[in-house]
Amino acid sequence: MATKTKDRAETSAAPAKAVNGTAPLPEAKLKQIYSTMLKCRTMEEKIRILFKQGRFSGNYYAAVGQEATEVGCAIDLRPSDTIAPSHRDFIANLIKGTPLNLMISQIYARKTSPDQGRSSPAHCGYAPLNIITPASTIAAQLNIGTGVALAYKMQKKDDIVMAFSGEGSTSLGFWHEAVNFAGVHNLPIVYVIQNNLWAESVSVKLQTKVEDLSIKAQGYGIPGITVDGNDAVAVYRVASEAIHRARTGGGPTLIECKTYRWYGHSEIDPAKYRDPAEVEYWKSKDPIPFMENYLAKYKLWSDDFKAQILESFQKELDAAIEFAEKAPYAEPEEALDHVYSFSIRDRELNRKTWTPTVLQK
Amino acid sequence: MPLITYIDAINTALNEEMKRDEKVFIIGEDVGVMGGAFKATKGLIEEFGPDRVIDSPLAEGVIVSSSIGAAMAGMRPVPEIQFVDFVTPAMDAITQQAAKLRYRSAGTQTCPITLRICYGGGVAGGLYHSQTNTTWFAHEPGLRVIAPSTPYDAKGMLKAAIRDDNPVIYFEHKKLYRSIKEEVPSEDYTVSLDKAVVRREGSDMTAVSYGYTMQLMLQAADKMKSEHGINVECIDLRTLNPIDHDTILNSVAKTNRVVLVQEDHRTLGISSEISAVIAEQAFECLDAPILRVTAPDIPAIPFAPTLEKFYMPTVEKIQAAMERCAQY
Ligand SMILES: Cc1ncc(C[n+]2csc(CCOP(=O)(O)OP(=O)(O)O)c2C)c(N)n1
Ligand SMILES: [Mg+2]
Repeated sequence: MATKTKDRAETSAAPAKAVNGTAPLPEAKLKQIYSTMLKCRTMEEKIRILFKQGRFSGNYYAAVGQEATEVGCAIDLRPSDTIAPSHRDFIANLIKGTPLNLMISQIYARKTSPDQGRSSPAHCGYAPLNIITPASTIAAQLNIGTGVALAYKMQKKDDIVMAFSGEGSTSLGFWHEAVNFAGVHNLPIVYVIQNNLWAESVSVKLQTKVEDLSIKAQGYGIPGITVDGNDAVAVYRVASEAIHRARTGGGPTLIECKTYRWYGHSEIDPAKYRDPAEVEYWKSKDPIPFMENYLAKYKLWSDDFKAQILESFQKELDAAIEFAEKAPYAEPEEALDHVYSFSIRDRELNRKTWTPTVLQK
Repeated sequence: MPLITYIDAINTALNEEMKRDEKVFIIGEDVGVMGGAFKATKGLIEEFGPDRVIDSPLAEGVIVSSSIGAAMAGMRPVPEIQFVDFVTPAMDAITQQAAKLRYRSAGTQTCPITLRICYGGGVAGGLYHSQTNTTWFAHEPGLRVIAPSTPYDAKGMLKAAIRDDNPVIYFEHKKLYRSIKEEVPSEDYTVSLDKAVVRREGSDMTAVSYGYTMQLMLQAADKMKSEHGINVECIDLRTLNPIDHDTILNSVAKTNRVVLVQEDHRTLGISSEISAVIAEQAFECLDAPILRVTAPDIPAIPFAPTLEKFYMPTVEKIQAAMERCAQY
């Protein structure tokens, strides 16, 4: 199947009118996309400050700069749909609706976090909304997500899976095992590659010889498309089509979103390996002001509108931070829980000593 | 009760579980049309169709990872690895995902898969069709690892594994497939996944093994009785993780002597762990050093008959260790 490249010019030149026969997006949806991006940005910038202030330890992998990709792709998912996130997709929780108190508890590794303080700060899952708790192994969630999609197909559900991965992950063998398998079984899954040009310090040029990663879809007989990942409306359109295809039995799609992470790989990476001009160029393509201009053109945006969103979200966020900071850590021995469906506490904590049976008599 | 082979027991268990629960499905290389490399899944695709008996692509990673995801979403997958020698592409899925999903989600996300793995030597399979490698998985908390040694257990433990809420690695020894028969009930039954079992009672010495070498150990114990009048208590470990310590320690408290037998190579094998547990928790009970009968520490089991024989534990090697233990 064909791999197409949609760029900003094609998808957003006259977005309120029909594009290629596509209906323009409802105003409420456009506003929802914008406000969600704004919240994601606000939350992650705050988390970065909290880290610098030493208020939580560990690390964090900010997706600042990539919000259009994540929000555009995931905003319309149903609670029963599954997200398979990577380390950089903490904000997927915000988009899907994980309670903020629990998310920030995850940052603080408190007992109140969905994993009760087991994993690391950015690796947040949430079972009630079908967000797979991520491992750090790159591409692992994408593989598990593929299995969830297999179950959805077997169960004849119309739920779908959205699996996120970075461009670096596409070099791993089992990334390909999963996408190939989804193609063979026509699974209801959307693979989203967030191509932010870097995998830690390694340029995409050292990951692959291809220009557009979506071309890899051809090897698996599924549709692939590359989209400007900083244009939320373009991403939304492309994702909607892919989600619809997955839901209606049309099988998987591979979407490449070209985007950029503003900061280092993590909070302890100064990202000296990047040309500052490159960073500046991408900051000038900030998806949030881009969306503001877009909305303003249709009289859907004002300073006031933005201030309102920020004001109420700041309150929510501050309350969540307070909640998390006051929440307890798990008790030390809780480290022994949730290994199996049964408890191992007795086994680990009470080791008995045996004496010879003859002496016992 | 019908007299059936070990592989019939597996096939019957799969069939019955698929009938009992439509969430159960099979996935693996050649499991469908061909009915499995050893015919463990024979006839299942005819009965249950290709949607429930999936001939997977040649990709162990996704055989296991897709099963993990499907289990998370409510299914009861029974993936198969054709030879344990080829399980390595699936190691991330098994050790980093299946073993840790429940833990990392604080019990909110789980993956009850039953991964059947064919393993073991003594069949002239050569370096890459004879490996044991059970230890790799026994080292992973979060996985149940089981290795039945009889047709009765093969059936009852497979059924229990499929119904269990934990990821289970089910090791089936290819040498056992057709070499032993046992009367096995045609009614539904399960066998505990937590307990070792005393296969032969004795008061002079405890011997512990699992899988194929458990059968060899029983033969050696019979010879100890007939040739020396020594009564060896034989324990079939059955579960390699978490190990049932109590059954072993109770026996050691009674016999005061221990021989441990494993087909896996020596260093850090199951027997090493059992030795440590006995030394820590039953030191006072020992009248003799713990002896181990294992394969040597070489990379894999070599092909030529002389080499393979040197590698494998045999009845003679086990009996020699038992004699040494008794003489101490
Ligand atoms: C299998 C594996 N190898 C290496 C790592 C260490 N690591 C963590 S993130 C990362 C780079 C990931 O790059 P990419 O897939 O592009 O995602 P991004 O961080 O850019 O979002 C590496 C090498 C890992 N977590 N897992
Ligand atoms: Mg990247």
